[in-house]
Amino acid sequence: MTLIYLFIFGSVVIAGLTAVYGLVWAVRDGQMRRFSAGAMSIFDDEEPVGRMTDAFPGEGNASGVGVGREP
Amino acid sequence: MNRAVFLYVGVLAVVLASFSGLVSLPQLQLGTIQPLVDANGNQYPAPPTGLVAEGRSVYISLGCIYCHSQQVRPPGFGADIERGWGTRRTVARDHIWDAPPLLGTMRTGPDLANIGVRQPSDNWHLLHLYNPVMTSPGSIMPPMPFLFDERPVEVQVPYDALAFPPEWSTPGRVVIPTRRAKALVAYLKSMDKSHPVPEVVP
Amino acid sequence: MSSTGAAVSGTDRAVLERVGWRGDVDGSCQVPVGLFFVSAIAWLMVGTVLALLASLKMHVPGFLDGTDWLTFGRVRPAHLNTMIYGWGSMAGVGVMLWLEARLCRVRLPLQLLLVVGVVLWNVGVAGGTIGILTGAQTGVEWLEFPYPWSFLFAGVFAVVMAASLMMFSGRREGHIYVSQWYLFGAVLWFPFLYVMANALIHGNLATGVVQASANWWFAHNVLGLWFTPIGLAAVYYLLPKVLGRPIHSYYLSLLGFWTLALFYNWAGTHHLIGGPLPAWLITVGVVGSLMMFIPVTTVAINHHLTTVGHFSRLRVSPTLRFVVFGAMSYTVVSFQGSLQSLRSVNEVNHFTHYTIAHAHLGVYSFFTMVMFGAIYYIAPRLTGREWASARLIKVHFWGTATGMAIYWIGLTWGGWIQGLKMDDPDVPFLDIVRYTVPFLASRTAAGVLMTIGHIAFAVLAWKMFAGSGVRLVGPTLFTSRRPAAIPGGEV
Repeated sequence: MTLIYLFIFGSVVIAGLTAVYGLVWAVRDGQMRRFSAGAMSIFDDEEPVGRMTDAFPGEGNASGVGVGREP
Repeated sequence: MNRAVFLYVGVLAVVLASFSGLVSLPQLQLGTIQPLVDANGNQYPAPPTGLVAEGRSVYISLGCIYCHSQQVRPPGFGADIERGWGTRRTVARDHIWDAPPLLGTMRTGPDLANIGVRQPSDNWHLLHLYNPVMTSPGSIMPPMPFLFDERPVEVQVPYDALAFPPEWSTPGRVVIPTRRAKALVAYLKSMDKSHPVPEVVP
Repeated sequence: MSSTGAAVSGTDRAVLERVGWRGDVDGSCQVPVGLFFVSAIAWLMVGTVLALLASLKMHVPGFLDGTDWLTFGRVRPAHLNTMIYGWGSMAGVGVMLWLEARLCRVRLPLQLLLVVGVVLWNVGVAGGTIGILTGAQTGVEWLEFPYPWSFLFAGVFAVVMAASLMMFSGRREGHIYVSQWYLFGAVLWFPFLYVMANALIHGNLATGVVQASANWWFAHNVLGLWFTPIGLAAVYYLLPKVLGRPIHSYYLSLLGFWTLALFYNWAGTHHLIGGPLPAWLITVGVVGSLMMFIPVTTVAINHHLTTVGHFSRLRVSPTLRFVVFGAMSYTVVSFQGSLQSLRSVNEVNHFTHYTIAHAHLGVYSFFTMVMFGAIYYIAPRLTGREWASARLIKVHFWGTATGMAIYWIGLTWGGWIQGLKMDDPDVPFLDIVRYTVPFLASRTAAGVLMTIGHIAFAVLAWKMFAGSGVRLVGPTLFTSRRPAAIPGGEV
C-alpha cells in the first residue's frame, strides 16, 4: 500500500513540477503572445475572416463563394 | 504552442500515467491473491472445470452479460443484499480464476452472482431459458428455444425432458435440453459467493 | 448545373487542381477519405438495423428468437461494435485525415496503404460482427470481436498513425492549430490503448478483476481519448471556418486540451463503482471524472463565445446545425457524466437504462452528429459536387435530432425511476421490468425517427459519391450565392 501512495503522490508532484516548468518555458519563449495568430491561421485570402464557407444546396440566401479562380 | 516535442511528451506521459494507475498498480496489488483452502483441502474459489467451464463459455457466447450483472454491492450502497442477491458484497478474491470477469453493467435482469443459491433447481433454469415468462411473468428476457430439441413424444419420456407447469404443457411433444443448455445450467448453479472471506468483516 | 452519373475522373481532378492549395490537398484526400466515409455510412446503416432489432427485442421478447444468431445477447454487441469500429471510427479517421492534411497544408501520403487499410478494416468489422453473431464473442465489452481480428485492426491503425505523423512532421504551416493537438493526441492514444487492452485481457497480462479495470480503462478512453478529441478537433475547425470567425480564446483552447488529456485518462473506473475493486481505484476514477468539469466548461465557453450572436446562421448551414447540436450535447453529456460518478448518484443510475441514454448522448448526440456535420462540409470538397437535396438534409437533421431527444428523455426518465425502484428492496424485480417496458418502446419509436434520418443521409451520400450531385464552381463552394456580410464590415 505504501508503494501505491508513494507512486501516486510522487506522480502528482512530478506532473506538477513538469507543468510549472512547461508554463515558465512557454512564457519565456513567447508562446503566450502568439495566441491570436494561432486562431487566425486557418484563414487566408481565399477563405478570409468574415466569409461563411457553407450553405444549403440550392437555397441561395447566404454564404461565401470562394475568391479563387473559376474554371 | 508550436513545439512538437511538448505534444509528444505530454500525450504519451498522460496515458502512461493512467495505465500505471488503473492497470499496473492494481495488478501489483491484486495479482497475488490466492484461493482460500480449508482443512479438507477444498479451495474457494475453485477453478471452473468440466460442464461448469463449458457453461461459462455458453454464457459469454449468448451475451448474458448485457442484461445481467455478477457483483453484489456493499450493504448501504443500493439494495443488493436486502434483495437477497448475496449475503455479503463480492470481492476481488471471488474472481481470481475469471478470464474475463463477467461483472456486467446492466440489470435489465437480476444480478446473478449468487443465482446458484437462489435457484438450485435444474428444471427451473431450463424452463426459464426455454421461455422465461413460464417462471417469471412479465419478463422481457429472450426465449432461447434454440438451446433445446423438440420431439414428438414416444413410448417413454426421456429422463431429461422439461417438466412444464400445467398451463404451459405441450401434449404430444417433449422438449429436451441440448448439451449447451445443460452446461449453462451447471454454470448458473455453480454461482455461489456466500463463502466467507477475510476481506469482508461480518 | 448538373453532371452525369460518372464517378469522379481526371477531369474533375483538373478542376480541383486549378483552385489552389486547398483544392490540391482536397484532391489528395479524395480516394482514401472518400472510401472511409462511404464505408462508415454503410456500417451506419448496418448498425442501425441491428439497433432497431435490439430495441424491439427488449419490449417484444419473442421477436425473431428462433435462432441464436439473432438472440438479444448477440445483436446488442453486434450493434455496438459495428457502430464503434464501423461507423464511428471510420468516419472519425476520414475526418481526421482530411483535417490533418488541411491544417498541415500537405497532401495525404500513403495513398495505396490507406486504401488497402480501408478494405482490411471493412473485412475486419464484417468478420468480427459475423463472429459475434455466430457465438464467438469474447465477453469483454467494447472488445467483443473474436480477438484474432485485433491483429488486423492494429495493423490498419498503425498505417493511419504513420500517415498522420508523416503529415505532422512535414507540415508547411508553422503554427500548430488547436485541432491538430487533439488529433495528434487521438492518433497516438488510440492505437496504444487498443494494443494494450488486447494484450492485457486476451493475453492475460492482467488477471481477475484487474481485467475489468483494464477493460474500462480502455473502453472509457475510447470515448475520452479517441472519439472526443476527434469530435472536438472537428468542432474547433468547422465552427470558425463555417462562420468565418476565429475561435474566441485561443488560450482557453490550450487549457482545455491539456486538462482533458490529464483528467479524462483516469475516469474509466467510474464504470465499476460498488464493484469488487479496491476503494482507492474507484475513487481515483471518480476524481478524474469530476475534474472533467474544467476542460468541458472551458471548451463550452470557447465554442459559445465563438458562435454567440450568429446562431441565426444555423438556418443556412447544414454543417453548423449538426456541429452546434453536437457541441452542445458534448457539454450536457459531460456534465451529466461527472455527476454520475458521484457515489450518491451512481447508487441510483448504475445498471439502469439511464446509463444507456447517457452513452448515446455521448456517442450519438455529440460524436455522431458532429461527424454528420463534418461529412457535410468535407464531401463536397472531395468530390467537387454539391449535396443533391436541401430537403433531404433537413429530413436527416430533424429525424436524428428529434429521435435523439426522445431517446434521451425516455430512457433517462424511465431509467432513473428504474434505479430508484431497484434500490427499494420492497419492489419486486418483475414489477420494475414491467415498469420500464413503455420507456423501452419509446426508444424504439425514437430509433425509427433516427433511422429515417439515416436513410435520408445514405441517399444523399449515394448521390454524392456515386456521382450524380450538382457540380461545384468555386474553389470549395456552391454556386449563385451572395457572400454573407458580417456586422463590423469585415467582408
